[in-house]
Amino acid sequence: MNKLIVSSSPHLHNKESVSKTMWVVAASLVPAGVAGVFIFGLSSLWVIIVAVISALATEALIQVLTKRKVSLIDGSAFITGILLAYNLPPDVPLWLPVVGSCFAIAIGKQVFGGLGHNIFNPALVGRVFLMASWPKYMTTFIQPLNAGVGFVQSMNYDAVTCATPLALLKEGKFAEQISYINLFLGNRPGCIGEVCIVALLVGAIFLFIKGYISWHIPITYILTTGVFTWIFGGKGLFAGDWIFHILSGGLVLGAFFMATDYVTSPLTRKGQIIFGIGCGLLTAVIRLWGGYPEGASYAILMMNAATPIIDRYTLNRIYGTK
Amino acid sequence: MSIAQFLTIFISAVFISNVILSRFLGLCSFVAISKETKPALAMSLAVMFVTTMSSIITWIIYRFLLIPFNLTYLRTISFILVIATFVQLVEMVIRKISPPMYRFFGIYLPLITVNCAVLGVAVLNIDMFFVGAKAVNGSFVYSTFQGICVGLGYTLAMLLMSGVRERLDLCNVPKALKDFPLAFIIASIMSLAFMGFNGFKF
Amino acid sequence: MKKLINEFLKGIVRENPTFVLALGLCPTLAVSVTLTNGVGMGIAATFVLLGSNVIIALIKGSIPERIMIPCYIVVIATFVTITEMVMKAYSPALDRALGIYVPLIVVNCIVLGRAEAYASKNSVSNSFFDGLGMGVGFTLALILISAIREFLGAGTLFGHALIKGFEPALVLGMPPGALLVIGLLLGFFNMLKNRKA
Repeated sequence: MNKLIVSSSPHLHNKESVSKTMWVVAASLVPAGVAGVFIFGLSSLWVIIVAVISALATEALIQVLTKRKVSLIDGSAFITGILLAYNLPPDVPLWLPVVGSCFAIAIGKQVFGGLGHNIFNPALVGRVFLMASWPKYMTTFIQPLNAGVGFVQSMNYDAVTCATPLALLKEGKFAEQISYINLFLGNRPGCIGEVCIVALLVGAIFLFIKGYISWHIPITYILTTGVFTWIFGGKGLFAGDWIFHILSGGLVLGAFFMATDYVTSPLTRKGQIIFGIGCGLLTAVIRLWGGYPEGASYAILMMNAATPIIDRYTLNRIYGTK
Repeated sequence: MSIAQFLTIFISAVFISNVILSRFLGLCSFVAISKETKPALAMSLAVMFVTTMSSIITWIIYRFLLIPFNLTYLRTISFILVIATFVQLVEMVIRKISPPMYRFFGIYLPLITVNCAVLGVAVLNIDMFFVGAKAVNGSFVYSTFQGICVGLGYTLAMLLMSGVRERLDLCNVPKALKDFPLAFIIASIMSLAFMGFNGFKF
Repeated sequence: MKKLINEFLKGIVRENPTFVLALGLCPTLAVSVTLTNGVGMGIAATFVLLGSNVIIALIKGSIPERIMIPCYIVVIATFVTITEMVMKAYSPALDRALGIYVPLIVVNCIVLGRAEAYASKNSVSNSFFDGLGMGVGFTLALILISAIREFLGAGTLFGHALIKGFEPALVLGMPPGALLVIGLLLGFFNMLKNRKA
């Protein structure tokens, strides 16, 4: 952007078509997926493929049944499928992503009238539904394969189940500390797309540079979680391991790729900052005191529900109206 | 009595066992009045006031009237009568002292009599803070606090829902799902989101 | 006689309290986790509806208009208290499962609604059949919802496992599942209605 354009929000980017935006976002998600498949083996690739295909199929089926225009080309169902798969453990039975994608598209999106009308992030709706319905599968994680040789062996690899770093922390037994660098590279148990922070950052920076997302939501979100866990996360105040909290769980994936969803987040900058802080607080509170080890998906969904209210009180009023 | 106890009551009443989204009390008013933010807010404030006051009153009646005279089986009848009388009284007082306030939420007050949330919280207080026929330590304060928190939970659900439904006016919602059905589906997703607080321990 | 049967039948489909009038949804959602609970709540509510409808139709001439609602509430609360005591004595397990939703039948909109809208204007026999029809309609709706929720949410019906290897979606036994099922069912009935029209 060479010219400085002064305008009042909401800033609408008319030049970009919806479908182009969607496919760019989809492209930015690729590194994290590749990293996930590399870390956990081929089973995670199947999860991603199945999730995407069922999301597309559900979308098409509903649009045919309700006699609307079939709009698979806009890429939104594709992204929903990918994001849902990224939020699943790598070794789930393959019917799980099918059910999750159907639910995400049907209940998360189509009942509201399709793309642009949904109140909640569809992928997250699918995820929390699966989490509440089949907690057994949703909380069974496998160890990362040894990088390099792992990928080749993964065809007949016997997965070793284990707990995620955050789940270990919750149980209070955090004996074998995973180093920050391992967390950063993704060498830890977790969901397919959330583990490799560096790959997620590559995608996020790409979106920043291209101007598809702004810093307001992700940065306030991550900072708030960091500060809150630093203050309350340890024994005594200001002793929490905030780096660990930022690097583990689905925080980075959620902050950059799900909280920033145009449709379900506030329009104004002020609203986006409130949204980010709200997400951050809720995530930290659930992590520290809630029953689940990770709270990012719930936090974003709760703030999705609050988005219309935030918009209502932060939108610039047209002069002379109430 | 401890801060942790209060916080647990708060989180439980507002989020985990949200009076509407998890206990389904006051559902009728929730679906009927949450179409716009302003009336939703008025109704919520009225409900919050009444749940708080009725928690106090029903606790006193249960502790000092029903228990000493061994009449606890009259709980339901006496509570609903007291609540109905109280609401009637408030309505009359408001109409006398502040006509604008009466116009603001007066019309919602009669509805509150048959709002399950009010009777629900009264019965819940008795179930939670009385063991046998004895009040537990701090029972009165807990009951009052729970009354306030249930009101807050109601307000939160109402506020979120009314915001969402105002936005849905602009949406191309499938015809069969318009209004009630969609309101329930949204409530279901909110309820799923609030499940994030399950197992909260401070 | 034909008119009485008509009064009875209207509550089941044409004016079904749950799906058409959307009344009394609180207990419907809360207790429909299992079929046993659903049937139990249906019978309890039917009993209260019948009793209060008949008594109110009997006394409708003798109470002043201004205190009508409080009188209705007392009549209803009496029947609810009877139900509570009977249930505690003969079926403590059901009483525990239904919890606070038994005393809450008092504020069930169906009961007060029928008292005000019907029993206060009609004869005793008409009110009896109206109450019975509404009660049966309510019970049938409860059976439908709780059957769906128990089957999909726990894989059982009346506590008996049906299909081997079926992995139930636990969420349907929880509050979000209840809201979802009722939302989709209401939508489904709307669709049928639209198609007919």
